[in-house]
Amino acid sequence: MKAPTSLPIFSSYKYDSKFYDEIFTDNNEVREVYETLFNLFSEYSVDDFANLNDKAKDAFFNQGITFQVYGDKETKEKIFPFDLFPRIIGHEEWQKIEKGALQRSKALNLFLWDLYHDQKIIKDKIVPIDLINSSVNFLKQMKGFNPPGGIYNHVSGTDLIKHSDGNHYVLEDNIRCPSGVSYVVGNRAALKRTLFGVFNHYQSYNVSDYGQNLLEIIESVKPKGVDIPKCVVLTPGVYNSAYYEHSFLAKQMGVELVEGRDLFIENDFVYMKTIRGLVRVDVIYRRVDDLFIDPLEFNKDSLLGVPGLFKSYMKGKVCLVNAPGTGVADDKAIYTYMPQIIKYYLDEEPILNNVHTYHCSRPDELKYVLENVDKLVVKPVDESGGYGISIGNKLTKEEIEKVKETIKASPRKYIAQPIMSLSTHATYIEDENSFEPRHVDLRTFTLLGKDKDFVLKGGLTRVALKRGNLIVNSSQGGGSKDTWVLKK
Amino acid sequence: MLARVANNLFWMGRYIERSEHIARYMNVNYFSSLDAPNELSQSRQFVLRSMLFVADEEEIKDVKELDEQKVLYDIGLNPEKQFSILSSIQNAQQNANGARDLISSELYESINTLNRVVKNYNKDVFVKNGLFDFTTMVTANVASLRTKIRGTLLHDEVYAIIMLGIYIERANQVIRIVNSKYNDALVEKVNSDISVTSSYEWTTLLKCVESYDMMRRYYRKVPSSNTVLDFLILNPACPRSIMNSLNSIHYYIGYLSKDEIPHKDSAAFLIGKLKYDHQYKTIEDVQGDLKVCIEKLVDDLSLVGEKMDKDYFSLY
Repeated sequence: MKAPTSLPIFSSYKYDSKFYDEIFTDNNEVREVYETLFNLFSEYSVDDFANLNDKAKDAFFNQGITFQVYGDKETKEKIFPFDLFPRIIGHEEWQKIEKGALQRSKALNLFLWDLYHDQKIIKDKIVPIDLINSSVNFLKQMKGFNPPGGIYNHVSGTDLIKHSDGNHYVLEDNIRCPSGVSYVVGNRAALKRTLFGVFNHYQSYNVSDYGQNLLEIIESVKPKGVDIPKCVVLTPGVYNSAYYEHSFLAKQMGVELVEGRDLFIENDFVYMKTIRGLVRVDVIYRRVDDLFIDPLEFNKDSLLGVPGLFKSYMKGKVCLVNAPGTGVADDKAIYTYMPQIIKYYLDEEPILNNVHTYHCSRPDELKYVLENVDKLVVKPVDESGGYGISIGNKLTKEEIEKVKETIKASPRKYIAQPIMSLSTHATYIEDENSFEPRHVDLRTFTLLGKDKDFVLKGGLTRVALKRGNLIVNSSQGGGSKDTWVLKK
Repeated sequence: MLARVANNLFWMGRYIERSEHIARYMNVNYFSSLDAPNELSQSRQFVLRSMLFVADEEEIKDVKELDEQKVLYDIGLNPEKQFSILSSIQNAQQNANGARDLISSELYESINTLNRVVKNYNKDVFVKNGLFDFTTMVTANVASLRTKIRGTLLHDEVYAIIMLGIYIERANQVIRIVNSKYNDALVEKVNSDISVTSSYEWTTLLKCVESYDMMRRYYRKVPSSNTVLDFLILNPACPRSIMNSLNSIHYYIGYLSKDEIPHKDSAAFLIGKLKYDHQYKTIEDVQGDLKVCIEKLVDDLSLVGEKMDKDYFSLY
């Protein structure tokens, strides 16, 4: 099917063949999975879309799927921008993503167990010990501790992009407190309200079973001796930007949403303060970072945590989800070893691609990097937050020479990766009143429990709303799309 | 249920109920004064003063001349005023947010939507000619919120706490409205020599609490101080009466209080005492010294709130 660029809402759709466009092929044809949707959209006028866009926004505000932005004078309620054009993932394509995400989560779990026990992977010289010793996220207190069910990363978020070669690459694993799943469900609800007619034409998986699966997972890691565990979600409170998500998860699971001040430790057991007195808590799905969960053990100034919680955990009286200390396994340096980690623990080839990484500490790879700085992203291994990164195709000749000198001075400090391009997707742009291509990524959600796992069939497609922008984060003006995974 | 969240639910109930009473009081007083039978009842200053008295009596203490648009704005939409309808609804929304995981999405969305509508209401339209539309919209939406509370929540502790908030607030507001209209009737007497017993203010009072028609049906008489006070304070069948609220408060505290015989210092004990005290009161007892009776009720209800806080909400 030829692209209906004659439609007014697609009149300014000009995609760049440097990127993989999710909707159109290089021959300007609509990809098969999107054909029906295109035919349906052709029945809408520009005004229809403007109205639907307003309706969708209202749906988010009314449902309170919002976050607060604190200014000098007033607090503003904002929504995470939502795009009307859903992302569709075909059955076959999804199978690979799902298996790959699960494989990574399992490998990371085994890796964490090993790191906090025998460290065989280090003894076998697969992962260098420096990486672990230098990581601030390695919690010595966790050494030798067996978390209930043997699970560390009960909840994992895997960030994927589709490169210009049409293949998925993992950009990042998130196994501390990955967020965003409430938007997956919220986006579906909003799209159903606004464009209900389109759902009849596609057989896509439901995404509302996440809460039920999450509850089963966290119940499966209950402490020893507990029959029916009392589970809770721990939130920093209503002023946290992810509060909506915390309340959503508690509601979906039918469990209490607690703050640190609602909990209390006595004889190493955790209790919550209810209208009928103290009630014991067995499993805590905490959405508070490691450093803030217990002022007696970590950050002394934390008001968000519970004094004595970590000790209670160590004594096996309560289970924390995710386990403290998972951060050691999801940083940039470890990422580069993921193919080896998967192979080591599972004896399998990685299903999802890692972005290829050149270690400047290895002489042959250093040579390649120095010869190709203009085509590579060079990153220091021990910095975070985007500091010290140079993107080859944005550098002047002089700058390239400078980067080369810096690498040569301390090659061990640097890694390099090819410049990846995020695929583009049709996105409704309010100011233009039409659809334009914008870069997208995908976050999937994987759950691991005792003898149970689950991957949510769908995910959070994040979209960079500014033209040409590759950063999809909501803090940088990113939005999101409903994501459909098709049944066969 | 968490003690902290119970507190949120209790206040959500109170603020929802409060916003409705203030909205209706504004609406009825303003519009019934337009064709009131005597000059004083028709006077703008008299009506504005009465409205502010119910919203927050401190506001009229030192003010001689009230500005109509300012008063309407303050009571309706002024975010700086804690007593405004806008603030009440915003407080209800914030408390609902704190207990968001326990209430239904339908209820939360309705509160949230009402909060957005009120926050975005055009101030100029409201003070010029939007009073009727705005207050009617608020009362209709509060009725719909009550339906959502009754129809979408489990009738368990969560429900009981919200209902306690609603009924304690209702009793509070009704007694304040009775007090305000009683004062208005006294002022009328001084100014126009109309007897307190047969004042037009009693009719307004009934309308302010949506009880006019039913009172007529019950007594088949023109409202007088005797019948109106009997109906609004002591008649258990009138859904807005103090007696009805006390019965409901007593019923719902039973959900929370485990003790068959509550201890003497508890909220449950005080509520039981208040209920039976009023059950065996006659209108003559009330009329004997209405002012004292009203003041005692206001104090007792505030004590119930304090004791509830101590018994159920202060663990956190």
